[in-house]
Amino acid sequence: MGYVAIKGGGRAIEGSHAAVEALRAAEGEAGTPLSLSTIENQLRLLTSRVLSEGGLYHPRLAALAIKQFQGDTLEAAFALRAYRSTKPRLLETPVQDTSRMRLIRRISSAFKGIPGGQLLGPTYDYALRLMRLDLADESSEAFRAVARRFMQGVPDTALPDSFPKVVDALRAEGLLPPLAPRTQEAFDITREPLVFPVPRSAALATMARAETGSLLAIAYSNMRGYGDVHPTIAELRVGYLPVMLPHPVTGEPVEAGEALITECEVVAMYEGNNSDGPPVFTLGCGACFGHNEVKAISMAILDRALQKGMRDGPRNPSEDPEFVLLHVDGVDSMGFASHYKMPHYVTFQSDMDRLRTTQSKAKASAKGVLA
Amino acid sequence: MPELQTPAADTQGWMPLTQQRVFRQLMNAFAYPGRIEPLCPGADAQGALTRILATLLDGEVSLADLDAQVSPLGWARLEVRRDVPERSNFVLARGDRAPDFQPRLGTLESPEGGATVLVRVGALGRGGELRLSGPGIRGERRMAVTGLDPAWIEARSQWNGAFPMGVDLILVDDRQLAALPRTTRIHTEGAR
Amino acid sequence: MNPGYELPLDEAAYSFGFLDEYAKREVRRAILKAVSIPGYQTPYASREMPMGRGFGTGGLQLTLSLIGPGDTLKVIDQGSDDSVNAVNLRHFVELTCPGVDTAERTAEATLIQSRHRIPEAPLTEEQLLVLQVPYPDPLVVVEPSEGKRKIMHGEGDYSRLLTKLYEDIVQFDEITISHRYPTRINGHYVIDPSPIPRYDVPRLHQSRALILFGAGREKRIYAVPPYTVAEPLAFEDVPFRTEDFREEHGNRRACARCGAKDSFLDEIILDGGEKTYQCSDSDYCNQQLAMRSAAVEASA
Repeated sequence: MGYVAIKGGGRAIEGSHAAVEALRAAEGEAGTPLSLSTIENQLRLLTSRVLSEGGLYHPRLAALAIKQFQGDTLEAAFALRAYRSTKPRLLETPVQDTSRMRLIRRISSAFKGIPGGQLLGPTYDYALRLMRLDLADESSEAFRAVARRFMQGVPDTALPDSFPKVVDALRAEGLLPPLAPRTQEAFDITREPLVFPVPRSAALATMARAETGSLLAIAYSNMRGYGDVHPTIAELRVGYLPVMLPHPVTGEPVEAGEALITECEVVAMYEGNNSDGPPVFTLGCGACFGHNEVKAISMAILDRALQKGMRDGPRNPSEDPEFVLLHVDGVDSMGFASHYKMPHYVTFQSDMDRLRTTQSKAKASAKGVLA
Repeated sequence: MPELQTPAADTQGWMPLTQQRVFRQLMNAFAYPGRIEPLCPGADAQGALTRILATLLDGEVSLADLDAQVSPLGWARLEVRRDVPERSNFVLARGDRAPDFQPRLGTLESPEGGATVLVRVGALGRGGELRLSGPGIRGERRMAVTGLDPAWIEARSQWNGAFPMGVDLILVDDRQLAALPRTTRIHTEGAR
Repeated sequence: MNPGYELPLDEAAYSFGFLDEYAKREVRRAILKAVSIPGYQTPYASREMPMGRGFGTGGLQLTLSLIGPGDTLKVIDQGSDDSVNAVNLRHFVELTCPGVDTAERTAEATLIQSRHRIPEAPLTEEQLLVLQVPYPDPLVVVEPSEGKRKIMHGEGDYSRLLTKLYEDIVQFDEITISHRYPTRINGHYVIDPSPIPRYDVPRLHQSRALILFGAGREKRIYAVPPYTVAEPLAFEDVPFRTEDFREEHGNRRACARCGAKDSFLDEIILDGGEKTYQCSDSDYCNQQLAMRSAAVEASA
């Protein structure tokens, strides 16, 4: 009787790495390797997504990860996360003031006129999704002229450095509850596991680095009727946030750099049964690294839904913290889906043993009934 | 009184590879309660304690140092948060004084919140014997120790009265350690 | 692992064991609590590792927090040292832990990381077994809320799990749990012993070696200390039973390669549709084969 060789795993892995690497360079002689700067700039929304889901603000490494994993966002975000595991946490980031953001875009769907004005900025929201065939064989000259032309058209009048926030105006009018004083330190999901119930800060941090599609799907279920947030976007802003950190010697806050972020605040219909004080609107908040508007909006809606679930008990999946927070992480879900590709010979052998035993018992008892 | 850091003190305890070795000894001590683990050679009286503290502590946890065994420089290097014994993850105390504090015992749902108490004893492997049994011990093990007030045994049995809640003890002398996790049962024979 | 793969030293500066020292310290603290509270699922932060969640990242974080120069590591998957995932994990440790030896012989290893099997050769007090865990909580099947499960565990209340086993018996006249068999540790906590076959469950009982369980995705560490009672849940009249390797005439099947009749067997379907059986533990199979050929030589 024959048997199966028990060697060969190492060689198989080497072969598979060579094959996937060959596909990365499959253009052969005609190809040009992607530069990291090309990825970071020309695929900026892809880079944004990877930055946000990786939970590490390092655009250059994000671009490298995109190149290395041939554009797979889940794998690229995963590589960034793994890199992050090797770095100690040197300090806790103090609260950052997003009203100081250097904005490239901010809109409100709640008010036509907002303090500081609407700034439509870079967006495809109102673009026709028609194929621009001129991009199919764009020349380098034409490509380089684009930015030059745009800069020439920019008026000299500089934009203000910062814009006031819409929700502050709502708060001043008493339509939103006053900011509650901070009673506990922010939960750091990179240092503590989620053990339910978790504070809101743990939910926000989990969603900030969640997989965009997963977050969108659960938020969409709430929008469609498995929930009743009915949000209005008070403000959606995209821009560069100056990151203030305490100076290692003096402890004074200093600007350590800036990070491109997207922030969204939604206002939802008021809840009537607040015993202390008049009814007010409620607020949901979303924010993440990079330019990811759909993600920030989904997060803001889910923040609202989860707050409701934490207060009244979940009535829909999107209001259940365990359901939402344990299923939106791309690294977790993708890893586990992939692991089913690994051998499960032993467990399957075990399964067959149980099935054969119960089958033979069933047969025996069927015979017993007939006899 | 051992100081955590003096100019002449050995600095091995702060090295990652030393901490890896010390951790394995700590883990063996917990896995086989009452087994005496010699700390790495060269460890002096300060070194032994420093090795254990530096292996276990950092800014994520808190320490109550009941008898001021940690020097100011030691506190700075450990980065550990200073707290009262009732709230601390770790408590450091002298074994020759009867304990008069109530450590954290954890909760039914989260018993890992129970404190780890480091007790500095006179000598492990000498003196009165404790008879031990429980997980990690085949049958029974005897562990000799000096400089451990009998009140510790009494207090420990009170703290560990409602499993899974309880405290876990690390005993350390000048160059060795042993552990008594909450599952270990002690049958005393006049330890002193 | 890609032979061209290097650690990007200037931008990354990976330290010994990949994880930063704070991460290791946290895992180490969790291990001590896990050993002190046998079978309790101790939460920890669980860092992302450079391989997929579900590929042994929990086991790997334990291994990297434990390992040091002087250790000899054995990595197995499905009992085999040479299955792709075992090779991959072993190469990763070789890359990030200079000074660590690796071995395929169970007897030579000081630290064994495994998925789905406990080695056939009995372990010693000088060895340490790390098992990779996909689902740490055996109560998930009867209670979806973690908060409620934690209370049930704390009280040692497993009545609903036993009811579930009983329903099995009523329906099938047999407990149908094939692997991940719920096992009570030191008379209190019931653990999911990871997807080891029932065949391996008795090896948890009074083991000489400490056994650690790491669930990376679910962020839990638990332990079965040495010389500790480990009892599979069962009923007096329907006892716990391991996998049956007898053929239709009631004879124990043997490994087609080494002839062993006392090992867990993989069932293999050959090209002609014929079935054959072979040791799942490849080192055990090699040792048996070596002993057999030595015996043949001695008698010649």
